[in-house]
Amino acid sequence: MTDSLLTGTVGEIFAAACTGDALRAAERDGFAPEIWSAVAEAGLPWISVPEEAGGEGGDLADALAVLRLAGYHGLPLPLAETGVLAGWLLATSGLRAARVPTTVASGADLAWSAGTVRGTAGRVAWGRAAEHVVVLAPAADGAMVAVFNSADLRVESHVNLAGEPRDTVHFDGAAPLASAPAGSGVSAQVLRRRGALTRVVLMAGATGRIRDITVRYTSERYQFGKPIGRFPGVQQHVVHVAQQAAMLEMAADLVCATAAADPGLTGRAAAFQVSAAKSIAADAATIATAAAHQAHGAMGVTQEYPLHTVTRRLWAWTREYGTGAQSADELGAMVAAAGADAIWPAIASGGTTLTPA
Amino acid sequence: MTERRDGGIHFDHTELTPEELSLQAEVRAFLAAELGAEPGRRPGLGMNGAASREFSRKLGARGWLGMALPKRYGGAERSAVERFVVTEELLRCGAPVGHHWLADRQTGAVINRFGTEEQKTRFLPGIASGELGFSIGLSEPGAGSDLAAIRTRAVRDGEGWIISGQKVWTTGAHRNDYIVVLCRTSDEPDRRDGLTQFIVPLSAPGLAVHPIALLDGSADFNEVVFDNVAVGQDAVLGDLGRGWSQTTEELALERGGPDRFMSIYPVVEAFLREAEPAGLVPPGLGESARRFLGRATATFWVLRNLALSIARAVDRGESSVYQAALLKEMATRFEQDVITALIDVIDIQPVCDSPSVFERILCEAILTRPVFTIRGGTNEILRSVAARAISASSAAPGEK
Repeated sequence: MTDSLLTGTVGEIFAAACTGDALRAAERDGFAPEIWSAVAEAGLPWISVPEEAGGEGGDLADALAVLRLAGYHGLPLPLAETGVLAGWLLATSGLRAARVPTTVASGADLAWSAGTVRGTAGRVAWGRAAEHVVVLAPAADGAMVAVFNSADLRVESHVNLAGEPRDTVHFDGAAPLASAPAGSGVSAQVLRRRGALTRVVLMAGATGRIRDITVRYTSERYQFGKPIGRFPGVQQHVVHVAQQAAMLEMAADLVCATAAADPGLTGRAAAFQVSAAKSIAADAATIATAAAHQAHGAMGVTQEYPLHTVTRRLWAWTREYGTGAQSADELGAMVAAAGADAIWPAIASGGTTLTPA
Repeated sequence: MTERRDGGIHFDHTELTPEELSLQAEVRAFLAAELGAEPGRRPGLGMNGAASREFSRKLGARGWLGMALPKRYGGAERSAVERFVVTEELLRCGAPVGHHWLADRQTGAVINRFGTEEQKTRFLPGIASGELGFSIGLSEPGAGSDLAAIRTRAVRDGEGWIISGQKVWTTGAHRNDYIVVLCRTSDEPDRRDGLTQFIVPLSAPGLAVHPIALLDGSADFNEVVFDNVAVGQDAVLGDLGRGWSQTTEELALERGGPDRFMSIYPVVEAFLREAEPAGLVPPGLGESARRFLGRATATFWVLRNLALSIARAVDRGESSVYQAALLKEMATRFEQDVITALIDVIDIQPVCDSPSVFERILCEAILTRPVFTIRGGTNEILRSVAARAISASSAAPGEK
């Protein structure tokens, strides 16, 4: 499957599914079963999950390319959670992924004991829409991966800024459907890095969409007898949007290439680049959304106009799996530990030259 | 990707090849031996680095100047990416690049592209060896961003030309060997027609150089006055009346390189080296300094890859005028933002004559940063250049 063939077909599926009405319905209902059926039928949520673990096979890079398109279209599904996150946890611990909407929960408050998980996880993406919840929880000797039927859990509904479910899930001692010790290279830190990577590519897609929407609007909207994109004050906004899209797309390209070579994300380059890209994504989310809304005037803040489908998601995603400030702090700590002489080689090599943590 | 429209301005991600990485290692080893041994060395800030003919000659001897020029003119016939690799390492060290900077970055390429055989033979070997320093005479008192308004005039005089007028903001004219000066040679309905570039020795009779002191006390900028300066026909660079398009192409070389975000890199490195031992930040750097360092590192990483992407596109023979404008506009703002953020992180009032290298170059950066978004095309002009490409892309959606 070539990149362009994959993304071309997938882009068409997402574009057809993500109409304004469909997105509004998904927001109202907390899930979009028809869109899920179409996407699941194409196998898209399970790309990068090995076939022997119930997935579609394929590379992490393929899965990330699909997520980028999901971000572009504002696809209202637990796509990142089902395969790249939950599917990865299951496959690496020798468990099987089921072909159902799945989410992932972890956090300091969860613990494995006596054959089950206890505690509460907040802001669980698509918790109420997921049939399965996969948990990474610390255990007495290492970490455990467990998969639960969500019907057996207590789920409190909440929504993020984009109207996507971010639920509180209580683990009160229900028996898991299956469990196993976490595979090698799996830790809460690496899961968080993987989550951050999914947000980077989703956000790169969303920022690209903002650019396309803004360029089109400022070319088509006339005031004072000419397209508003001809006015220097508006040009400034358009240029700032295009710059942020270029920055984040480049960061995403770089980190996806690194993820292709190191799909477990345990290497130095992965640690450096995911933190760096997440920090860049936060800046892009701030600058591009502000500039795009300003360029659109009042039209951009209506429900009918599609800009909010991506700007609201950016405002939400930028705070998931580490804020921009936290990501910058992580990266700053890595660089500071390496010392002044190591900064430039790290920048020029994308972190490859840093010594292992 | 069929979905991608890029606003007409695309950057392809690229990586250095093993050969390019070995050049990088070679340059690093050379610079460590050449500059690393000097205790308490004060690094220069980007293209403001000191002018040292001796240092430039050493680079020339290694084949690291005029790298893309043909071998028969003393060049190395190497790629834009290889030049990028050498340049970023020089900037990283704050090396004394002032003598060869303009000649290496743009004049050599322009002479090679538009010059006569005689001009190439005469100037290019000196540029590639680091011997010749060039200045660029574009701006005038009445023509800054509106370059087509220049009034310096070259008038035919028998076989040659007589040049009269005044250029300003001419970097290095007091120490360089030649100036490439843009003159009006005829009046045409379109002001961008009728302009011509001339190569003039800075020692020519009638040519006077007066320094323009800047607010930081430096005097690398000059006013250059041409009072009936006589030059031969052999001073004409390229086609008569085509100076505008030649200059526009030259500006793309000037705008898309690593010098647009690395001027202040040495300040960041000196900060990490000195700040904690000097007690300017808490032990372990503290949260705000770590965040500063992380954000700066992340942004350097991406800007560097955007600039590398431009160099790769140049090697493929693609025009990079719009990419360069888009990049320079944000990269130079980043340079300013880094200094602003850094001042917030440290707990001192820096003094300009401090024994600390960090403090001294921080002072220099604070005082020179307004120039970053002005030199080589103001950000206002760059936005208008980039916006033209972006809105043109919308007229033909679906491309790429």
